[in-house]
Amino acid sequence: MIKREPLVLGNKSLKDVTEDICEVVERPPGKAFLAALFSAKMLFIFYIIVWGCIVAKGIGLMGINSPVGWGTAIITFVFWIGIGHAGTLISAVLFLFRQKWRTSIARTAEAMTVFAVMTAGVFPLLHTGRPWLAYWLLPYPNQRGPLWVNFRSPLLWDVFAVSTYATVSIVFWYIGMVPDLATIRDRAKNKIRKTVYGALSLGWRGTATQWNHFEMVYMLLAGLATPLVLSVHSIVSFDFAVANLPGWHTTIFPPYFVAGAIFSGFGMVVTLMVIIREVLPKFKSYITMNHMENMNKIIMTTGLLVGYAYGSEFFVAWYSGSEYEVYAFTNRAFGPYWWSYWTMITCNVFIPQLFWFKKIRTSIPAMFVISIFVNIGMWFERFVIVVTSLHRDFLPSSWGMFKFTFFDLGVIFGSFGMFFFLFLLYTRVFPAISIAEVKPVLGVGRKDETHG
Amino acid sequence: MEDTKLNSNKKPGAPNYWLSLEQWRQDPEFIEKTKNEFSQSPLSNVETESGWARREFLKLMGASLALTTFGCVRRPAQKIVPYVNRPEEVVPGIANYYSSTMIEGHETFGLVVKTREGRPIKIEGNPDHPDNQGGLSASAHAALLSLYDPDRLVEPKRNILNKNKTNADMISTTYEKIDEAVSKAVKKGSVAVVTQGQKTSASKQFFRDFTRATKSQLFFIDSVDETTVKRGQRASYGKSVFPRYQIQKARLIVSVGADFLGTYVTPVSFSKQFSKRRNPDGDMNKLISFESVLSLTGANADERFQVKPTQKLTAVMAILSDLIIKKGRTSYSADRRVVRALKSFDEAIKALHLPEGAISRITDELWSNRGKSLVLSGGMQSKTSKALELQVATNFLNSVLGNDGKTIDYSQASQRGFDGGAENVNKLVSAINSGKIKTLIVQGTNLAYFLPETSGFKEAIKKLDLIVYLGDRNDETGRISDYIVPDHHQFETWGDSEGLSGVYAIQQPTIRPLYKTRAFQESLMKWANLSGMGPNRFKEESWYKYLQEHWKYNIWSKNRSVSFASQSFDDFWYELLQKGVFDTSRTKRSRSTGARNFNISQFSKISPSEEHKWELALYQKSILKDGALANMAWLQELPDPVTKLVWDNYVCISVQDAQAQHIKEGQVLNLKVGSTSVSIPAHIQPGQKSGVLALAVGYGRKGAGKVADGIGVNAYQLAQYNANEVAYSGLPVEFSSTSDYVELVTPQGHHSMEGRQIAIEATHDQYKHNKEANIHRHKIFSLWDKHEYKGHKWGMSIDLNTCNGCSACVVACQAENNIPVVGKKYVMEGRIMQWIRVDRYYSGDPNDPSILNMPITCHHCDNAPCETVCPVAATTHSDEGLNTMTYNRCVGTRYCGNNCPYKVRRFNWFNYTKDIKKPLNMALNPEVTVRVRGVMEKCSFCEPRIKSAKEKAKQDGRALKDGDILTACQQSCPADAIVFGDMNDPNSKLSQMFSEKRTYSLLEELNAVPALKYQTKIRNTDKLKTENSKKDQGGH
Repeated sequence: MIKREPLVLGNKSLKDVTEDICEVVERPPGKAFLAALFSAKMLFIFYIIVWGCIVAKGIGLMGINSPVGWGTAIITFVFWIGIGHAGTLISAVLFLFRQKWRTSIARTAEAMTVFAVMTAGVFPLLHTGRPWLAYWLLPYPNQRGPLWVNFRSPLLWDVFAVSTYATVSIVFWYIGMVPDLATIRDRAKNKIRKTVYGALSLGWRGTATQWNHFEMVYMLLAGLATPLVLSVHSIVSFDFAVANLPGWHTTIFPPYFVAGAIFSGFGMVVTLMVIIREVLPKFKSYITMNHMENMNKIIMTTGLLVGYAYGSEFFVAWYSGSEYEVYAFTNRAFGPYWWSYWTMITCNVFIPQLFWFKKIRTSIPAMFVISIFVNIGMWFERFVIVVTSLHRDFLPSSWGMFKFTFFDLGVIFGSFGMFFFLFLLYTRVFPAISIAEVKPVLGVGRKDETHG
Repeated sequence: MEDTKLNSNKKPGAPNYWLSLEQWRQDPEFIEKTKNEFSQSPLSNVETESGWARREFLKLMGASLALTTFGCVRRPAQKIVPYVNRPEEVVPGIANYYSSTMIEGHETFGLVVKTREGRPIKIEGNPDHPDNQGGLSASAHAALLSLYDPDRLVEPKRNILNKNKTNADMISTTYEKIDEAVSKAVKKGSVAVVTQGQKTSASKQFFRDFTRATKSQLFFIDSVDETTVKRGQRASYGKSVFPRYQIQKARLIVSVGADFLGTYVTPVSFSKQFSKRRNPDGDMNKLISFESVLSLTGANADERFQVKPTQKLTAVMAILSDLIIKKGRTSYSADRRVVRALKSFDEAIKALHLPEGAISRITDELWSNRGKSLVLSGGMQSKTSKALELQVATNFLNSVLGNDGKTIDYSQASQRGFDGGAENVNKLVSAINSGKIKTLIVQGTNLAYFLPETSGFKEAIKKLDLIVYLGDRNDETGRISDYIVPDHHQFETWGDSEGLSGVYAIQQPTIRPLYKTRAFQESLMKWANLSGMGPNRFKEESWYKYLQEHWKYNIWSKNRSVSFASQSFDDFWYELLQKGVFDTSRTKRSRSTGARNFNISQFSKISPSEEHKWELALYQKSILKDGALANMAWLQELPDPVTKLVWDNYVCISVQDAQAQHIKEGQVLNLKVGSTSVSIPAHIQPGQKSGVLALAVGYGRKGAGKVADGIGVNAYQLAQYNANEVAYSGLPVEFSSTSDYVELVTPQGHHSMEGRQIAIEATHDQYKHNKEANIHRHKIFSLWDKHEYKGHKWGMSIDLNTCNGCSACVVACQAENNIPVVGKKYVMEGRIMQWIRVDRYYSGDPNDPSILNMPITCHHCDNAPCETVCPVAATTHSDEGLNTMTYNRCVGTRYCGNNCPYKVRRFNWFNYTKDIKKPLNMALNPEVTVRVRGVMEKCSFCEPRIKSAKEKAKQDGRALKDGDILTACQQSCPADAIVFGDMNDPNSKLSQMFSEKRTYSLLEELNAVPALKYQTKIRNTDKLKTENSKKDQGGH
């Protein structure tokens, strides 16, 4: 019988687990953390200013035009929404499949989801011409007629998909955290901390009944979140697939987008986990090389999936016999934006294949670099879809080009400021690893099967 | 003060009022206090002896003074006055239409000026005017904008000139001061008046009256000398006349450099006539063009040949030679003088390098269309030093073909005007140089702009004592003038026009003068009177009276038998103002006259011209023409119909020359003609003759205004004045390339159809064989039911066969729908706002391409792709088939724009409306909402016009009938290519157009079911130029 690899290294006792994880929340932050937080905050402020200018002066500050009506904002929106997917996959889908190795990374992956969706949510609101009226996209009884929304529009489906996703993710993430918040409350030494965490832990006492309810709710929420992994990005893909533009109007988009989302999401989880392992070395016992390797395998697999999708798009374009389709795809690969297409192919299809080698799969520096390439590649995938399809469509007379402006770059990089600012705050305020879920799996793969 | 004493000094019996208890009590302290009028000074507490009190006092005084002056300025009184005494004809919210007329360059338009609440907001062609027949050019539309041009002078100005007569400073002055100074100069004598060639008898008479009375000289000088035709006529037939070319009568038109659809004489009128003969089911005409620079006429020609400017004469001689010598068609083949002249061209004809047999084919066609053909030559790009010979040769050819008197009308209703030739420039300059002129009064012609060094004008003016400019801005001529007396805009004053002789039209003021301006006629009257030399007719100093008198005695009384002139003059005048046009030559015009005798001796003098390696052709763009309206942003942002470039001036170079000389698009070239050189970016122009560089005039303005200044170079500088002649074309030019680049901007992204079925063309033979020739129809299958339209179903048809791409529709739409202008930078970024665009596609060999124009506006699809994707339902479908935009509802996701296959939606990237400068806001059409930032907009099929037509029909108690609604683009179209109407009405013009077999929908396979359909372009030629490269078109 093959012995299982232990899920937690270092022969941790139950007390060690609590100590290790709570310590981060309870001790004052180190200099490295403060420096990181400060940088993220500055970038976040810059981001707010950039958006401020755009909202004040007009969306025309960005590079979009006619025919390229969507640009950086939509690309980056899809990018961040995609990032979120890995979190839900790890925390909900792997939970339902009883994948015990997920426990130590689920919390942070789910936090990543929440923050990525928050970051993403800014874009569709502010990319509109009149963001102060964006609430008109919500169907609620109103005194404007009453005017109702257009349920045929994929953008409206998007509103529901993303808001549902955001709500379920936040609730799932928070509910899972309640027992751990209670642990921090119980360990709290000062009154403020006790009160705050007391309120946050919603009166958790850890009774059998509560545990019973908790497990039930957690399972139900996992069940609710699971279809979202598939639905959210499918619906986001409808924004494109439902339109009649060559390069957008394809049935392959939903699965292709979901695969891409998982791919990019795992890329981001790897990036973050590498950083957490470095910043909080004690977490290396919980987020083990085994975890990293597993995730890299998923990246490699989904990389192949998106590669397949890219290929089949070309096949379908050729097979359709539609001159517009054929042109759209030829133009992608060999038109003026060829560089974006080949950046995408290189980053998404070729580079992840390095993970076939165990040496690379288990090398922290290698996987860090590759995971960043994956994220760059996935940003460009959305660029390719949005920009290269729009810039040359049916009538050659209306063809045009898209050029980045300062404001485009500002929102791309600035959005990372927002994400990392929130994420860094999270690591200090909430238990970054689920104490309650790690403890039951301490025994897995251990030589002395005393625990668990 | 008084009332505090109330208690003590109150009158007996008066009621006892008190203000406070203290007063009532008669408190002694209070009474003491009330004795001081002002409350106690705060200074009294301060030690008065210390010396600080004074300072403190001053401080406080200073501060309070400052406070009172800054803080207590009276708010400006903003009086609101109720509309008690409403002018009878003005109803708020209802537009008034006044008939009027306008002369722009050499073109005369009958107008209908639409006014709202007393301000003109749009001009439309007067359908009753026989010249433009309701059509209007792009530049004519922009004349409206010039009324509200912020750069117009608002009051009389004086320039403090330095020694070199360059503008040093401009100050305000009064009419009194100017009148005094000018009348003194007029009294002294040695005065010359310069104006453009006058087209009407009234204004001609007026200038004559002035100059005769004040013993001054009169010069007519036009920006572009077009007098060659007249002089050619005199040389050929003995009488100086500018004939009326009857394009509609010609089955075959050969144009040798005459861009009659774009810039030559009266393009709108010619387009109207030309398009009437473009019906492929009827006796369709054929156009053959010889030209150097690709013009609108060349782009629409059925066959087009490229020749250098100096070879145009050779081309005509080649036809004559083939006709007379080779084929011996006429008795002239025996005339030795003719044969000798023709033989001298043998070498030159060989050097034309025209395709084998082309000339022979043309002569055969011309011969078989004797009396039904027309050979045209002239225009700026043909005005070489041999322009007169070209005219004589053309006249000879027309005479040989028997066209004279048939398609060329020289007696019944000839073109008026064309007096401002280059010989007048020479006369003026030598008169100044000889000291005969000391005072120059310039009216309506921008001499300092278009007269180059070689004319000697710029040196001559230094000898003048006084220059008075009756213009409207401190432009090039303004800057050399001592006084600028601002003239009324043409919409603010009276006037008339007579484009064709006998076709009189009246110009009415449609708004009270906006500023302190004065009609130039009244200025001249005043000066004549003040100097004591005013003729009797100037006594009243009213131009209106003068004009009316002139009409009474010179027009009305002489034409009492014609149409409505039989009534009394007052009634006649009233009806004239209503109708706008008094056509006395209507019956005469259709009569044909006999041919004139051609004077062979002039022809025999013709000799071949010297060909240069590189020839420069100055030309006019069909949009900006001579540059007078360069400050109109509508025109600067209107893509040139040929190059599709905006906001720039460039030198066009042919494709093969650019390759050979390694010149890239936008690369700056130094051009040198004689001693003058200019630097200008190059534009590589398909279809241009190799060895020719072409540069448009009308740019390089100084002082024209914020829009025009600084764009391009002044190409007039390169014109060569030589004694009594001016040459604009065929100029020997040297050029060198630099390493600088200028980005030339076009809103059209790509110029080939990439083999897609977009704009479809077929030859006339193909069409006769199969009316659906080259149209690939798609079998469309839909799961859904079609929309039901119970009442009206609006649709539009655009006939690609008659559309010549002139782009007047674009400006008409811009004026009608308050469409903002965004500027070069934003056009470059892809943010042009125009709702209708004219796509121009090249196909075939870039050196000799075929050109197809396709106007595209919102297609108002039944299955509109934009409607389904809007999340807030801001764009919806009306029950009459309109795809409507609710601006208020739009949040600006731009999804509709992305999903529109025709890309006709325009987004407000910034708050363009807020940036409209005063008084340009007065040009806005109140019937069309101005759009706020962040909303999508697009063509509405002129929905407000549909609505008002419906309301009018309802008021009149009748059903809406076909033709009640004209969209702005349709109304303006000089080629009548656009038809708007009800698809549900089987008898509408639109239904008739749609029933034509050559009708097709653009991108039909998408099943958007557009309400806008096109008709194939039919070329009257044997073979399409695209046929070789066309294998992939139409099928998939």
